[in-house]
Amino acid sequence: MMGKKREGIACSRCIYDSAVPNIDFDDQGVCNYCMQVDSLTKQYGTGHQKGIDELNSIIRDIKASGRGKTYDCVIGVSGGTDSSFLLAKAIEWGLRPLAVHYDNTWNSAVATENIRKVTSVLDVDLHTHVVNNKEVDDIKKAFMLAGVAEFDADTDIAYVQVIRSAAAKYGVKYIFEGHSFITEGISPVGANYLDGAYVGDIHDRYGEMKRSTFPNMTFFQFLKWAIVYRQKFIRPLWYIDYNKQQAQEWLQDNLGWKYYGGHHLENRASTFAHTVWLPQRFGTDYRNLTLAADARSGNKSRAEALEIYNAPVIPDGELVAYLKKRLKISDQEYDSIFKGPKRTFRDFKTYKKRFERLRPMFYILAKANLVPMSFYLKYCFPIEEKS
Amino acid sequence: MLRIRVIPTLLLQGESLVKTKRFGSFTYIGDPCNTVRIFNELEVDELIFLDISATKQKRPPNFELLQDIANECFMPLAYGGGVAKLEDAKKIFQIGFEKVSLNYASLMTPELVTQLSEYFGRQAVIASMDVKKNIFGKYQVMSSNGKVQTGKSPIEWAKELEALGAGEILITSIDREGSWAGFDINLVKQVADSVSIPVIAHGGAGKVEDIGSVVNEGNASAVALGSMVVFQKQGMGVLVNHPCEEELGRLIKR
Amino acid sequence: MIAIVDYGMGNLGSIQNMFKYIGVQTKITGDAKLIESADKILLPGVGAFDQAMTRINESGLRDVLDHQALNQKIPILGICLGMQLLTNSSEEGELPGLGWINAKATKIPAVDGLKVPHMGWNGVTQCWDSALIRDLPTESRFYFVHSYAVQVQNPKNSILKANHGINFDAAIEDGNIYGAQFHPEKSHKFGMQLLKNFARL
Repeated sequence: MMGKKREGIACSRCIYDSAVPNIDFDDQGVCNYCMQVDSLTKQYGTGHQKGIDELNSIIRDIKASGRGKTYDCVIGVSGGTDSSFLLAKAIEWGLRPLAVHYDNTWNSAVATENIRKVTSVLDVDLHTHVVNNKEVDDIKKAFMLAGVAEFDADTDIAYVQVIRSAAAKYGVKYIFEGHSFITEGISPVGANYLDGAYVGDIHDRYGEMKRSTFPNMTFFQFLKWAIVYRQKFIRPLWYIDYNKQQAQEWLQDNLGWKYYGGHHLENRASTFAHTVWLPQRFGTDYRNLTLAADARSGNKSRAEALEIYNAPVIPDGELVAYLKKRLKISDQEYDSIFKGPKRTFRDFKTYKKRFERLRPMFYILAKANLVPMSFYLKYCFPIEEKS
Repeated sequence: MLRIRVIPTLLLQGESLVKTKRFGSFTYIGDPCNTVRIFNELEVDELIFLDISATKQKRPPNFELLQDIANECFMPLAYGGGVAKLEDAKKIFQIGFEKVSLNYASLMTPELVTQLSEYFGRQAVIASMDVKKNIFGKYQVMSSNGKVQTGKSPIEWAKELEALGAGEILITSIDREGSWAGFDINLVKQVADSVSIPVIAHGGAGKVEDIGSVVNEGNASAVALGSMVVFQKQGMGVLVNHPCEEELGRLIKR
Repeated sequence: MIAIVDYGMGNLGSIQNMFKYIGVQTKITGDAKLIESADKILLPGVGAFDQAMTRINESGLRDVLDHQALNQKIPILGICLGMQLLTNSSEEGELPGLGWINAKATKIPAVDGLKVPHMGWNGVTQCWDSALIRDLPTESRFYFVHSYAVQVQNPKNSILKANHGINFDAAIEDGNIYGAQFHPEKSHKFGMQLLKNFARL
């Protein structure tokens, strides 16, 4: 099981241990995930002239493709550090971005305020898709009843669908993503399954409402975005130096941005997922991703990162009360949900087999940056079953 | 001296917040309680909630939802939509709202306005009217979400409402609603000049300057904002916001 | 524990919520024993003077409230109509008030087109120092809704003043007895500061 504490050997450099799926250690005790990050750093020239040159060349392409259009790139914003920083950088690079936000109606006030401050100071237009709050509540409850780990999968897939739809609407080819392997590491294969069929099937089986405003992404829509619209995903933070604390300070000083307490804590649904659902129900603590990255990059000492990780996740009591009220779940029902059977994507309809069968095609698309390489690596290969 | 009030006005449809255009097409804005938390952070003067489907669906207000909303708010709250009798109003005040707004009920059972204002005090009763220009360009008070003509003119109706005991008048221009084109200053001035109770202008605000104009030229005592506080800008995404206090201070008494 | 007195008049939920937001335990109660056991008392009120005094007198709470206020000297805060009840009398009614502070409530005159009730956000001026108004910014504003206004006899009892046609007392203090004419529970951070100060007394 991903992220279980203190199991077996731990990496001598970051804090991943043998509980992490597909992990390997070399003679120095350094894990393959650290090696992967090192190799990616070299490949992309992160923080070095090679990376900067590569990024500049991409920026030139973006500007060229955007000539005569209102926007030349699309950036998904959440109010969080990475996306806010990226938006500022895009302006600095002379680009004309459209900020896009999927509002699952569970945003914290801090997040919405951050989006407002950042887009207004930088003078960037904002496109949003707001799902019907009752519909999303029905979906969230369905996920809890289904007993799967991916409590926030609906937000994740809707987010991509909304960004891609916005890019298509405004005729924009380039989509910026705020992922940074330096600050977040590489998410191990096998953690968190996500596709439109999975989300749809869970809701169909355990939900009560019909979906009408929820922007799900079907297989054919996915292909349409990649092949017909040929949208390209760019990760600028893979090329330049990026330090989260420094970014946060800059955002605070220049844009009036405010910190919300932790990775993914700007939205109440993802906060519930990370601080309650995953740790309490599945024993999974995804803080190891960012903490391992901190240790790996030297941002924190390994000892410090381990100390933080070993301290228990303290959930917000108010948050659980809020969720119970919103999803109309009684205390008894909540307890029985936590005691219920656990399921995985294997128990539901997904596109997994299809992705595996079409691996060669997705390889080509990944190489051309039309689908993320991480998608190819994660979805087009069989995922080993965990005991 | 009293501030000129700037009041975000939110529309409830079922248990969702929506925004309409000329009382027609609507856009989802979000979850009511979640949205209210943000307005709380923004420290707005007051909030008005209007349930636009209660009367049509012939049902009373959603008291449970209103309780949740009231629990989040540290500023005065007004509620309108489906308030048909004294008991409804009693519950709403118990829940933690300061004012109730009567629209359909004021037309069908005007004595309710008097009853509520005598029981709770004038300051607790807002009389709300929706106005549209007819094909001859004359202002008409409409009912049932702008669908039915009442045959009344805004001025005569406003005077009647004041006499009945209303504490404030919320005047909504159906033509301007959701248009970002500015308030109908002419309409607001006509009504404001004909009564001595405060008039809240609603419908059409697109920029801060519009607020200044309707107060300084239209004699509005307060402004109700719709699209301006829930969209980033005209035609763009949903984003809860509030006009900048500094700019407001330059235009009106704050 | 702060007891919020429930005598059937006032938006108690909102007051409790603001206290909860600032981390203070409160209990809404109409029970004399519970009120007696409280460290502090909050007296809310929305509506008419006589109706409120009648309810208090007939609820069986009058004795315990007098005892706590005058003998035990427990900190008591009256809000809106609650503040007017602390006085000797009000022009609005016939019955005497609680008489805990030497003051009187009179009707705000609607002269020169002034709109009554005084309803809306208004600024206040600090007159006399008090723990109740500590750390309030000079630009503080509060939400008022009232047609009758209080004026204390002893200027030292007036801690905040406001103006709506006439100058009146927005907040008053006499020993352990405090009053606020505005609604702190509807006045954002300004109200929060005031309630925080009261809780800290």
